Amino acid sequence: MLAHAIFFYTFSFIAIVSAIMVTVSKNTVHSVFFLILDFISISCLFIMIGAEFLGMIMLIVYVGAVAVLFLFVVMMLNVAQQKNQWFSAQESSKHIPIGLIVSVIIFFELLIVIGGWKYKPDLVSAMSLTIDQEITNTHSIGYVLYTDYIHIFQLSGMILLVAMIGAIVLTFRQRSGVKRQSYFSQISRERSDGVELIDVESNKGVKSDD
Amino acid sequence: MELALIFLPLLASITSGFFGKYLGDRNSEIVTSLFVSISALLSIILFYQVIVNGYENNVVVATWINSGTLDVNWSIKVDALSSVMLVVVTLVSALVHIYSIGYMSHDPHKPRFMAYLSLFTFSMLTLVTSDNFLQLFFGWEGVGLCSYFLIGFWFKKETANAAAIKAFVVNRVGDFGFALGIFLIFYLFGTVNYVEVFNQIPQIVEKKLLFLGMNVGAIDLVCILLFIGAMGKSAQIFLHTWLPDAMEGPTPVSALIHAATMVTAGVFLVVRCSPIFEYSPLTLNIITIVGMTTAFFAATVALVQTDIKKIIAYSTCSQLGYMFFAAGVGAYNVAMFHLFTHAFFKALLFLGSGSVIHSFKDEQDINQMGGVYKKLPYTYAFMIIGTLALTGFPFLSGFYSKDAIIEFAYLKGNTTGYYAAGIGILTAVLTSIYSWRLIFKTFHGDYNNKKTNINEMHESPLVMLLPLFVLAIGAIFAGFLFKDLFIGNSGGNSFWGDSIKFLNPLSMEHPPLWFLLTTPVLVLSSIPIAYYLFVKDKNIPHQIAQSNKPLHNFLINKWYFDELYNILFIKFSKKLGIFFWKAVDVQIIDKFGPDGVSSLIKRLSIKASKFQSGFIYQYAFMILLGFSALLTFLILN
Amino acid sequence: MINIGLGHYLTLAAIIFTIGIVGLFLNRKNIIVILMSIELILLAVNINLVSFSIFLNDISGQIFTLFILTVAAAEAAIGLAIIVVYYRNSSTINVEKIDSLKG
Repeated sequence: MLAHAIFFYTFSFIAIVSAIMVTVSKNTVHSVFFLILDFISISCLFIMIGAEFLGMIMLIVYVGAVAVLFLFVVMMLNVAQQKNQWFSAQESSKHIPIGLIVSVIIFFELLIVIGGWKYKPDLVSAMSLTIDQEITNTHSIGYVLYTDYIHIFQLSGMILLVAMIGAIVLTFRQRSGVKRQSYFSQISRERSDGVELIDVESNKGVKSDD
Repeated sequence: MELALIFLPLLASITSGFFGKYLGDRNSEIVTSLFVSISALLSIILFYQVIVNGYENNVVVATWINSGTLDVNWSIKVDALSSVMLVVVTLVSALVHIYSIGYMSHDPHKPRFMAYLSLFTFSMLTLVTSDNFLQLFFGWEGVGLCSYFLIGFWFKKETANAAAIKAFVVNRVGDFGFALGIFLIFYLFGTVNYVEVFNQIPQIVEKKLLFLGMNVGAIDLVCILLFIGAMGKSAQIFLHTWLPDAMEGPTPVSALIHAATMVTAGVFLVVRCSPIFEYSPLTLNIITIVGMTTAFFAATVALVQTDIKKIIAYSTCSQLGYMFFAAGVGAYNVAMFHLFTHAFFKALLFLGSGSVIHSFKDEQDINQMGGVYKKLPYTYAFMIIGTLALTGFPFLSGFYSKDAIIEFAYLKGNTTGYYAAGIGILTAVLTSIYSWRLIFKTFHGDYNNKKTNINEMHESPLVMLLPLFVLAIGAIFAGFLFKDLFIGNSGGNSFWGDSIKFLNPLSMEHPPLWFLLTTPVLVLSSIPIAYYLFVKDKNIPHQIAQSNKPLHNFLINKWYFDELYNILFIKFSKKLGIFFWKAVDVQIIDKFGPDGVSSLIKRLSIKASKFQSGFIYQYAFMILLGFSALLTFLILN
Repeated sequence: MINIGLGHYLTLAAIIFTIGIVGLFLNRKNIIVILMSIELILLAVNINLVSFSIFLNDISGQIFTLFILTVAAAEAAIGLAIIVVYYRNSSTINVEKIDSLKG
């Protein structure tokens, strides 16, 4: 159990520190990096606790896709070059005490919830957490996901589709001055559009109406 | 027919008032004059029926109040008394409407004027034909209101506005007493209907009330309060100050309201309530004294006035005093007779003076007139007729009515009666002097006007002379024709019937011959005296004035009533009013009321708008706050 | 302390949740930090769900975490797209300059 505790405290310490650094650091790129660190440490925590599928998925999706997306946008918008001042304006610094007090209140409330909760009698203590060799986490998730929760699964697929379409629609813009092919007008050209027979008189030449 | 009579003027007023813009000036004049003339004709027909058939009717138009024991109707009560008043009011009003077509021809606001005149006529008719005190009060207030409108008709003139307010406020003082009287009547009798009240009077003769700490007879108190109302409306002494200032209004207004109709409403009230007044000898004495004093006072002031309309206004005040003192000695029918004849010749005098003013291009000072009797022949003739009637020249209308008053005063027999008769004769002499002073200074002597050339003087148009002609006929013949009807010895009471009550029938005797001849002789002899004083030798009046400077000042300043009231009441009331306006109304009520609420809302909304800063993080913060509050609430529950 | 129980994991999740919330409104820098704070909040929720699932031997917690992952990804994508378009229009993503909703 000692190893469990050491690993738990390490990972959670890293997670908390990087979470704080996400909000506090002056450079936005650093914030993104700390976010990535946060995700990685929590993922390690998941693996440690026995939900390794979820931990891996988190690594792939969150770190590999979402955080990278953040990085793309941060780089694209030249955020790093903007003035990042910690509490720049005067009037905004009034918020800090009240905000901190309120967040502390929320934290303690969350703790109260935990403390006063009546857990189920068959709560498994961490001591008896074993890794079941027969059914892996992936296997157990797979058991349920496509049978009991199929509707939600499909729905989440829809959500992703809509998000994709939405992102494209939002950022799509027509650029003027870009030459493009229009297949339709190319194919639907008639002979009368392309060829014109002209009687040329001698020594007169052809006038092109371009 | 009664309905048409009463409501035609109202219809004319509404048409001209609201639609005069669309109808045009000429059409609204024609509509109003036509309707009121039809009313006049109907009233003459009614009067005829009352005389010949003893026609009496009470048409209930609608129920006004029906609450508990108070039962008040809108009604048109036609009996002898009201039919006389109907004739007077509608006839004079119709003539004034026609006259105004000519007099106000230069005025840009003709439809409004005609509308006000017709509205006034309607209010007066409502007053006269009511069968209960409440409708009487409605008409009373209505004529006061129309008087305010008409006096202040030329509202751009500062003095006109002030005069209108003065008239309304002084009237208000009288109305306050009147209202108290009506309340007392309801308190004592439980009803305000004339017939029911009059039937119950004999039962409470001995009743006493506690009023302001004094034990007074109930009927005495009622009568005094009612008389205070009459004093205000009819410009008796102490509440007379508004009448001369009311001359700020156009002359037809003065003729209609302040000669023939509104000011006679007070007399009408006293005569209508004769069943009550007969049981209160105290009030009757008070009425006599007040009437007499007013007559004398007004006559003395009229002697030295220089404005032609003010002279005639004071003359009206004086004649009203006569009517009241006739009522005070118990001769109600004589008072009504004098009211009837007075309407004719006073309206004639006012309209005639209006014609003079019109010819002199709005000059009203008699010192600036003179010597135009050849230029304005018709006006001159009509004014002479009016003056003769007013002064009581034998066989004209005023002779019969005024001398009858003096006779009845003498016949009363007691000290008040003799005293009143003496003052009456003295006032008649003064009346004669100032009336002839007016005529001579206006039409004879040298031409004193500096603004207009005498060759530009021309007679008034026919539309103005025609009413004068009709009124002149009335002034000459009304007395002789109706004398027997109103105060005749043979069948005197049979005309009036129940409309006037005589507790002790009037004596049918005649006073001694020397008494009968005194007044006419004095009046006739004052004509050459006046001629001498004001035409031949102008210095004598000047010398009299110079040698009696204090007396002259006293008279010219109208016995200093205005100054007295100013010191006693006006200054204080004005201060109080300003205090209430500035300190209470503006500072307290407005600040906490509308202004306070609106500025509070403004401040609150400015504070609230700071929530919408546009910064997303603040919105998120709000969400967080709300969420945490909800959470706390749920946890603590 | 040594015996790591459910409570420890939940406490960890609470701390990360609070930090995410603090970052949501205390930042004065730019909007991307807001999106990252949202990701932190979702992460905390994930920790909660997974730890409950493990300790109560119920797989549905992990299923739900999977879907939360999906939704978080979709939402981050859309959010970033919006920011990109906004930046195109107003050339700034400084939080204090974005106040056109001001009423």
